[in-house]
This record gives sequence, C-alpha cells and structure tokens, in this order.
Amino acid sequence: MAKLPKPEELSKIDYTPPKTSWMDTPVVFKEGMFCHGSKPKSLELVGFPNPRDWRPADADWKLPENWKQILLEGIAERLEKYRSFRLFMDICVRCGACADKCHFFIGTGDPKNMPVLRAELIRSVYRKEFTLAGKIFGKMAGARELTIDVLKEWWYYFFQCTECRRCSVFCPYGIDQAEITIIGRELLNLLGLNIEWIAGPVSNCYMKGNHLGLEPHTIVGNLEYMLDDIETVTGKRIKPTFNRKGAEILFVTPSGDLFADPGTYTCMGYLMLFEELGLDYTWSTYASEGGNFGFFTSNEMAKRLNSKIYAEAKRLGVKWILGGECGHMWRVLSQYMDTWNGPADFLEVPKSPITGTVFENAKSMKMVHVAEFTADLIKNNKLKLDPKRNDHLKVTWHDSCNVARGMGMLEEPRYVLKNVVNNFVEMPEDTIREKTFCCGSGTGLNASEDMDLRMKGGFPRANAVKFVHEHYGVNMLANVCAIDRATLPPLMDYWVPGVKVAGLHELVANALVMTGEKERTTDLRGEPLPGIEQKEEKA
Amino acid sequence: MTVLDYIEVQNRKIAIDGDGYLVNYDDWNESVANALAERENNGKITDEKLAILKFIRWYYKEYNFFPMLSAVCKNVHKPKTCLQEEFYNPLLAWKLAGLPHPEEPLISLLEAGQSPG
Repeated sequence: MAKLPKPEELSKIDYTPPKTSWMDTPVVFKEGMFCHGSKPKSLELVGFPNPRDWRPADADWKLPENWKQILLEGIAERLEKYRSFRLFMDICVRCGACADKCHFFIGTGDPKNMPVLRAELIRSVYRKEFTLAGKIFGKMAGARELTIDVLKEWWYYFFQCTECRRCSVFCPYGIDQAEITIIGRELLNLLGLNIEWIAGPVSNCYMKGNHLGLEPHTIVGNLEYMLDDIETVTGKRIKPTFNRKGAEILFVTPSGDLFADPGTYTCMGYLMLFEELGLDYTWSTYASEGGNFGFFTSNEMAKRLNSKIYAEAKRLGVKWILGGECGHMWRVLSQYMDTWNGPADFLEVPKSPITGTVFENAKSMKMVHVAEFTADLIKNNKLKLDPKRNDHLKVTWHDSCNVARGMGMLEEPRYVLKNVVNNFVEMPEDTIREKTFCCGSGTGLNASEDMDLRMKGGFPRANAVKFVHEHYGVNMLANVCAIDRATLPPLMDYWVPGVKVAGLHELVANALVMTGEKERTTDLRGEPLPGIEQKEEKA
Repeated sequence: MTVLDYIEVQNRKIAIDGDGYLVNYDDWNESVANALAERENNGKITDEKLAILKFIRWYYKEYNFFPMLSAVCKNVHKPKTCLQEEFYNPLLAWKLAGLPHPEEPLISLLEAGQSPG
C-alpha cells in the first residue's frame, strides 16, 4: 500500500486552474490517484475484450489497432440505444452549477473533476464525430479528435467519479452525470481498460456467486462463526437455513458483510432480527451477492450477474425477496432488475408476514429493502426495543448515495434509527439527504492502491462528520451500505479519529429484546454495555 | 509476480514468487515461516504467531479463503486485534503462513480491510 500524505498536507487544496485551456492540458497520472489495471484472467473469465497484462501508468496500453473505430462505433451504438445519453450529450449549457458540487473536485481542486468538465471530455469527441457544427468548426465548437491522450484522460477521470449523482441535484437540466460515467466506463470496457478491483470481483461473482469468491461451505462457515458470537452475547443459538425450498422469503445481501467488520455485525443483526420474528426465510449460497460490480463495467455484465437472484427465487419457490443493507445493490435492483431479468411473475407482491403490510412500492420488482421492512415492524409495534443499550453511542446518519439520492429512501432508516438509539444528531443540511456527500470510494474505487484519491474524495463527507463529532460528541457513523461499511472506517481513521462505523441493523440488534435471551452485558462487538462496567465494579 | 526466487532453509531450496509468496503450500514448516518472516522484517516466529499461522493454513485448506479476522484470534484465544499486533496486517500473516499469491481483491481485503459491496 502506497504511503499516504498526512491529513494536514492532503487538506491543502489548490483551486487555481492551470494556465492552459483544458483541451491543451495533458492528463498526468499521479500515484495514489488511480487503481491497478485489470488482470487478463479476470477479463477472460467473463469474455471481456482485450485481456492482457497492462499498467495504467505505462505509455503503451496494448490496445487493438482499430481501437478508435471500436470506440466510435461504441458511442454510435449507445447514442441509438440510450436516449438519456444522446440528451445529455446535447443539452448542457455549461452554466457551472455543478462545478463545485462534486466531492472529487472539492477534495482535489482539479478542474477536470468538475462534473461539467468530466462530461465535456466525452462530449467534445461526440461533437467532433456526431454533430455538424463540431465537424465544421472543430475546436471553436468545443470539438476535438479522439486521440490516445484523450482516451487516457477518459480513463483517469471516469475512474475518479463514483456515480453518486450529487451534481445532478443542482443541474437545472437534470443531467445525470452518473449515466455519462456509466457509458464512459462501458466504452473503456470495450478495449479491456478495466480496473482489477472491479474486474476481479466481477469474475469471482460470475464463477462463485459473490464478489469475494466465497464458496458455499465458506459462507455457511462464516455465518456459523457469527452465530457463535450471537450465542455469547444473547445466550441464544440461532439455526438459519440455506438453499431451502419452500421458504416464504429469500434473503440476499452483499457478500462483504459475510467477511469484514463492521459489516459482520450488521449481518449478525439480520440473523437476530429474523430469529426473533420467526421469519420463514432462507439464505442462498448461489445467489450469494446482492451487490453488482458488473454495473461498473457494462449494463450487459450487470444483467448477467443479476440474473441469479430471480433464478434462485424461482428455483426455491419463495414468495418474495428481502434485500440486506446495500447502496448500489439497491439502485441496480430497483431500477434495472425487473427490466433486465423480469418479469418475476412467479413471485407474489411482498407482504410482511408479521404486520400484513403489502409493499405496493415493490409490486413489480418483488423485492423489499430490509430498512423498509424493519421500519414497518417498528411502526406496527412488533419489536421490543431497549434503545438504552446504545447509550454509549452518539450516532449520525450517512445517507448512502444510491439508496438516498438515487432511490429516495430518506425517512425509513431515520425512523428505525430514532427508535433504536437515544442519541441521534444530523450532519449539516447541505451534506445529507438528497445533497449527501459520497464516501469517496464507491463504484468499485475502494481498492488499497488509490488511497490518496479516496481520502481526497471523502474529505467533504468527513468534514461534515468532524463538525458533529466536535460539536456534539458524535462517535458513530451509521449507514445502510456495504461499500460504506468498508470505506468509511479508514476515512474516519484518517480525518476524524474516534468515530466508528456501523450498519443500521447492528444498532437494531443491540436494542432488540429477544425472547428468552440472557441479560446482555456487551453489544455485538463485545464491548461492555453502558452501566455494566459500573455494576461490575460495585459488585 | 511470476518471477521465481529461492530461499535456502535447512539445506533445501524453497521456491517463492517475485512478491515473496511461497510457491508450494506443502513446502511450509516452522523454519520456512521463520525464513519468510526474516525477509519481511517481522522478527522471530513465536509460539503465538505459529498458532495463528497454523490456524490460517488449516482454514485455507478447508475453506479456500482467509478466515474471518476475529475468528483467527478467537481460535488462538487472543484479543480481536491479534493479527495487527503480531503481523502488522493480515496480508503478511497470509504470506508467512505459506499461502500462494492472493488475487488482487483479496490483497485489498487483507491489507486495508476493503471488501467489494
């Protein structure tokens, strides 16, 4: 792992633009600001183009001779296929409303991280090749040739965008920069210009069903280990089922929660909640990934990886699907799955067996997010909760981009949180809800070699946490996203030491009073509950 | 990464790759672990370290993966942070346990706790 500059150095951000115009300012690949190139094995496995050993910092990217033709045909195909893409290529008036809204611009000061300019990287080529004005007037009309240097600039900056869409909130035309980056990455994918931190998990998921590459017995083994810990904390032995035909509900969650802390505590939370409800549900070791890194390569790959969720629901004969806490997973499922791999007419409209609530919002997709599910349980008074058990925590809420801004899930997690903790503080209003700041490492950028980029991109989010940490003593950053659970801990350690990170259902399970449980003395992390230390001292 | 190198342990030539990972799982023993640790400036393999490495090797053979970090420590009856304390990071434990060169996602996972969503 490359050495990271100290926070004092990294927070000195130079916003002076270069003296040369943007088209004449060549891209410079800076160490720590980009990820490793994809390995041939990862591309071969899923049939992606141009598998070879390559390094992004090398001059020669080992591209096919007709690379330019491939890209231009790729653009033409996508202009036909996606009306949004054509529209976004045409309608920007360069008003600049988006310019200072991007966390990567705020954190780097690099003008090419202004969303308008990032889009302009591809728009300029569009103008040159696909518009009359650009063909005739060239640079005067904002058009330029597609060259190797332009291609490198695309690569560098489309992997410095996390598709968080904060800029879109401020765009008077509603241009969705995420869609432009998605297309940009699809085009790069046509030449084998992926990053390994995305391509590796994609091939793992294709082969073994999940990004981590956990085999079925390993999934069961890891969950068994969590069950041991749950037994230590609650005195209760839980026995979940796997691949069980005839279960009412299939549960699908990101695989990150099956291995790494603090995601594992969130996972323990699900296990405890479902046990207490007596939910008739099953895990699957086949559809063992809710996330979809294919979405960061191409729509087609995302569709292929996604297909196993409905397929498994059909094979097991469940009635509907419950999804764990995740961000991009939820956007992929809610906005794409039904169109890609539906209609799921073999499933029923999800209905909570506990409250009888019918989730009309999931009428077509047949899948419910666990935050909605739990909010409904609490609303109907079906859970016995003791929020005092979370009294050692002062919690703030990080709205994960895809769930909050993308899918409008703003109130449900807050409603749950306010019922399971006594100390909840919001971050400043321009940094939450629709205007939430990205963790800085989404869309598959959370590798270990691009830490400079990640700490810079996460700076605005960390800054807002620092505010509530210093003013209100916040020590816990809660969220419903598996990528956040991986990316926010190092971000906090770097910018706001003393603030930990938790998934929502870890806090739910801490507060959940379970039937027949022993008196709890620790939280799910094994830390003493508030009041327990004093009690022990007195005894 | 495919470049082969050799370390000499007890008059045996042990193959390692360009990044210092053991090529053959079965070449490993305590002396080899010590030689690998020396290359990585990780000091002597103590009994505590050895217990951790043996567990990691057993788990890898059984599950084709690295054990959950807290499970490692629990199994050797050590505090939850035992891997960081003994080996700086879990990736080094992987290497000293004589496991083959990990895939890149696993490197980020073990080196920086990063998992894909």
